[in-house]
Order: sequence, then structure tokens, then C-alpha cells
Amino acid sequence: MKRILSLILTFVLLLSFTACSGNFAQVDLKEPIALADDGIVKRDVFEKIKNENAIATFTGESGEMEYEWTIFGSDLKDTKDVNLSITLEKTEKGIKIKFSETEDFGFPALLSVHLNEKWKVDSATAYDGKDTVYSVSITGSKTSILNISVNKIVTECEILPDNEIQTENTPSTESSSNDNKQDNSETNKTDDYLSGVKDSDDRIYSDGQNKGKDKYETDPVPEGKPLPVEPEDQEVDKKKTYTCTFSIECSTILNNLKDLDPDKRELVPSNGVILAPTKVTFYEGESVFDVLQRVCKEKGIHMESSWTPIYNSAYIEGIHNLYEFDCGELSGWMYRVNGWYPNYGCSRYQLVDGEKVEFRYTCDLGKDVGCEWMAGS
Amino acid sequence: MRDSFADFHPFNNFLYFALVIGFSLALNHPLAQGIALVCAMVYVISIDGKKSVLFLLKYCLPMVLLTAFINPAFNHEGTTILLYFSNGNPLTLESVLYGFSSGAMLVTLLLWFASFNRVMTSDKFIYLFGKVIPALSLVLSMSLRFVPKFKSQMATVTEAQRSIGRDVSSGSLWSRTKTAITIFSIMITWALENAIETADSMKSRGYGLKGRTAFSIYRFDERDKYTLTWFSFCGLFLLSGSLLSAFGFRYFPNVRYAALDMTTIPFYLVYFALCITPVVLNLKEERKWKTLVSKM
Repeated sequence: MKRILSLILTFVLLLSFTACSGNFAQVDLKEPIALADDGIVKRDVFEKIKNENAIATFTGESGEMEYEWTIFGSDLKDTKDVNLSITLEKTEKGIKIKFSETEDFGFPALLSVHLNEKWKVDSATAYDGKDTVYSVSITGSKTSILNISVNKIVTECEILPDNEIQTENTPSTESSSNDNKQDNSETNKTDDYLSGVKDSDDRIYSDGQNKGKDKYETDPVPEGKPLPVEPEDQEVDKKKTYTCTFSIECSTILNNLKDLDPDKRELVPSNGVILAPTKVTFYEGESVFDVLQRVCKEKGIHMESSWTPIYNSAYIEGIHNLYEFDCGELSGWMYRVNGWYPNYGCSRYQLVDGEKVEFRYTCDLGKDVGCEWMAGS
Repeated sequence: MRDSFADFHPFNNFLYFALVIGFSLALNHPLAQGIALVCAMVYVISIDGKKSVLFLLKYCLPMVLLTAFINPAFNHEGTTILLYFSNGNPLTLESVLYGFSSGAMLVTLLLWFASFNRVMTSDKFIYLFGKVIPALSLVLSMSLRFVPKFKSQMATVTEAQRSIGRDVSSGSLWSRTKTAITIFSIMITWALENAIETADSMKSRGYGLKGRTAFSIYRFDERDKYTLTWFSFCGLFLLSGSLLSAFGFRYFPNVRYAALDMTTIPFYLVYFALCITPVVLNLKEERKWKTLVSKM
């Protein structure tokens, strides 16, 4: 009897060990694959990625520059042989890309071009002659990485930095609030530590004369940038509505997939865009945080924040379930308004009409998304 | 029911509790948690009877509900948004589920420790660890024994005080407080003195010295061999099962789990068999006893 029992047990044990399929559907991250000389990737390679629901990266080189394709198995539908090699060429202002493939891939793929230099611009655009073909997200800490979501193929295109966005000292004056401007001296009350100039849009800008920290640990605001406004002093006037451009993106994660928490892999959008630039209506007196909260609620995007009294602002812990520290210990969310990363919390940034707000995920304390002050350089 | 599992060798008793408590902590698959919870409940009820049912309903059920309620208030991770709190953070399905899971784990552990205290008496504990870690095992067994001993001594002191007219249940608030403080002070003195006395007493008997033997009537006999083999098999099997993530389950950011199929079901069966072992042994013993009685 006991012998039979032990035999059965051994059998069960062996059966379970040899055939255990316990791994639950986690998205697998493949080791980077170097492209062959001709650049052709066979159909069955894509089929394998698709069936395993994996994320694969293909690396190649052209001239002095390296490039990398990131392909998500969840994006693949019909697969075929694809030539992934490209030719990179430096031009006077930008980079020229020539694709070897002539037909569309049939799936979206992310192309990351590693430059040898640092582009000090906010964003770039790929032009095909005159038309815009792709929008480009710039990341990278020491040297820039251009992230291009390729969903259609053009024979060649040129990537040029967007220069029209002014990050210089001129605050936006095209504000449409000019006509309904009021003598609202109460909200413009300044504390002693704030020295600023009042501009036409009812916002106080720094004149760069401040020294030392304010009572919420904020370092002096650079000249020409709006000074923080305390959320408890703000009154929202629902009668006056303005618009701003809002976007949320995490393309730095796609450059650092190996650091990402494996459980979060399936959340990352394959083009890195969680919310594409959208025109958003807001009311006078609202802060960036108010607008973020409303936008996320409306679009059904998950967002968690916590109030931080010492900075008198909300702290964004996670958006789209991508939290701080999920992609390395220097990762988290940052916000940029008109090309500048404010050095105070998003509850203290009062929006004016026509501003461009971007929430970006950083994996390197802001350095990879173009924020200089955070890492202390 | 008589707990005949307690009559097994202390090492088997200890190994069983080490295994079930360890796996209750490590496995977060709802099915595995359910198995552990049900077995722990059945075992506690079978050795403690009606009293434990009341305990379950009065404390354990609210505890599960409380954790399920509290967790979503602080944890907002998860992809399934149910509704929003007033501060703008979302209430997610995943955080509610995780709350239930951790509540169930808490209750399961509580129940395992309740039966642990019944089975692993201090003499067994000292027998097992008195040689290896004499000081620590004495301290452990003394502190484990402390609360019940303190409670019974407190009842005695309260009775004695009442008989000389210092009643905690009547009189003005001030006099009641005064009496309670007096009783508490007596208790502290007693506890300290008792600890010193126990330590001195153990020392005078040469506790912890080399070559000292302890009286014990524990024999490692045939049935202990079988149970030991069974427990070690279960332990190894389940350990490798969890390494192969047969019990794989994640709550965040969305619920994902290992499929329940022919390859993973054996692990759950073995887990159930391990957890229910003492109850089965007790039933077997009871039946044997009844047949013996009926034959007389």
C-alpha cells in the first residue's frame, strides 16, 4: 500500500516538474538582435515575437551613428520579411534618413537614432520634402536620441529640430485674456522674497533678482519665467475659458526597457505616447495639476498624486500605472511648459492661454528629457 | 475533538507549522490562500470547538473587510478604475482585490498561530531548541507563556482586591481608576519578580550548561517517520512549485495569474493535502478509538 502511494507521488512529482506551465502571461523582453548586413529580418522572426507577445529590439549602425528598432509583439498582425536597415546622413541642420524598405511594414515600429551630439531643442520633426511625416521625441542624457514612431514608409526624410518654440525670455504675449484683463491686484500680491515684473497676462514673471529659497524650498526662478502661485490663493473663474495643449509621453522608457519593472511592460505604448498633444479647455486661475487631473479623468487615464505640504504642491506619483522608480531609481514624472521644466510643483504653476504643457517620464532624473537643473548641473 | 496531532513528535509538529505558515505568507494566489484559510479554520474549529467559531465571526471577518476597505484608500495602483475619490485619486479594482487577499492572509496566519499555541506547548519548544539556542528558546517560551499567565494572575489579583473592598466594577470613576492602577502596579511587580524567579530557577538547575539532559517522553517512532517523510515531500514539492511559479499571481498593475491546468493542479492538491494533514490524522485516531471502545 505504502509503496504504491510513494510511486504515485513520484509520478505526480515528475509530471508536474517536466510540464509545469506556471509562467503567467508576462511580456518578455528579448535580448537586442544585431541586424544582418542586408538588414532583412525574416517573417518567422516576427511571427515568433508576435506569438510570444514579446518586445524585441534590433540594432544597426550607419556611418558614425547607431540606431535601434523597438517592436512590440502586440502590434504585429500580418507579418512579412522586412528590411530594417536605414542610412543615416548628417545634414547642415539635421539628420537625413533613407529607408531600405520600400513598402510599409504593416505594423508600427519605433526607430531610435542615437546621435553623437546633444541637440538642445525641445522636439524635432521629420519632413519629406515639405510635408511633415513623423513627429520626433528627443531623449538621451549625454547625447541625444531621436525617437520616431514609424507607421508608414517614405523613401527618405530629413529630421530638423523645431526652432519655432521660443524658450527665451519673452513670455507669451499672444494671450487672449488681454481684453478681459482686470485690476486683480489681490491675486498678484507678492511676498517679500518674490521680486517680479507684472506682465500683460496677469502673471508675475521672475526678473532673476531673487536669491535663496522661498518658504516652500523653491530655488530662485530663472529670469523671464513665471513665479509660483500658491494654490490656496487661487480662485478659479469658470466664466473665463482658455485653451492649452496637453500631452503625456514616456518615450524614455522605450530607450531603457531593460530597467523597467517586468510587470509594467505591457502598459508601455509602443510609440511612447500616452496622450498625444491635445487642445484642452481650462478656466482662469487653474494650475497645471488641476488640468492634468481633469484631462486624465476625462480620457480615462490612470493618475495618482499625493499632496506634499513642504512643497505646497501635488506630487505626481504615477500616470497610466507607470510610477516613479518603475524604470530605474532615477525615474519619475516631470512636466514642461513651453519648453521649460518649472522648478516648483505643478499645483503652483498657473496656466495662461495657449501654453504647451507636456508631462514626460524620465529615467535619469530629468537629464534625458532635457531638464538641466534637476541633476544639479 | 482530541488533538492527536499534538501527540506526534515535536519536530513534526514544528515542521508542519513552519511549512504552512511559510507557504501562507509566500503564496498570494487566491486559490492557494483559500485552501490555507479553509484548512486553518477547520483545524482550529476541530480542536477548539464552538469558541473559535465565535472568534472567527467576531474578529476575523471584520478584519478581512477592514483591510479590503483600508487598502484602496492608500493604494491607487491598478488599471481598472471603478470611481474617483474626492482628492482625485482613483479607486481601482486591483487594490480592492489586493486588500481582500492581504486580509485573508492575515486571518490565515492568525488561525495558524492559534493552533500553533495549542500544539506547540512550551515544553515541546524547549525540547526542540533548548540545546541549540538555550537562552533564546527560554525567552521565547517565557514570552509566549506570558500573556495567558498574566491574564490568569490578573483575575486572581482582581478577585483578591475585590474581597478587601477594592472593586474595579463599582464606585466613582476616581476610586475605580485608583483601584485599577493599584492592581496594575501589583501585576507589574509580580511579572518582574516572576521573570527573575524563573530565570534564577532555571539557572540553579543548570539550564544551558553542557551535558545537561532534559526529561522528555517524546519518541520518534514509526508513524513519525512517515509523517516526516510526507511533510518533507510536500515542502520540497511546493517549494519547487512556487519557484516554477505554479502559484504565480500578480495584482498590479492588472490581475494576471498562472493558468489552472493539468500541470499546476497537482501543486494545489498537494498543498491542500499538506494543510489538512492534522485534521485527517485526528479523524483517523478518533475512528480507531471508537472502534476500540465498541469492541470492549
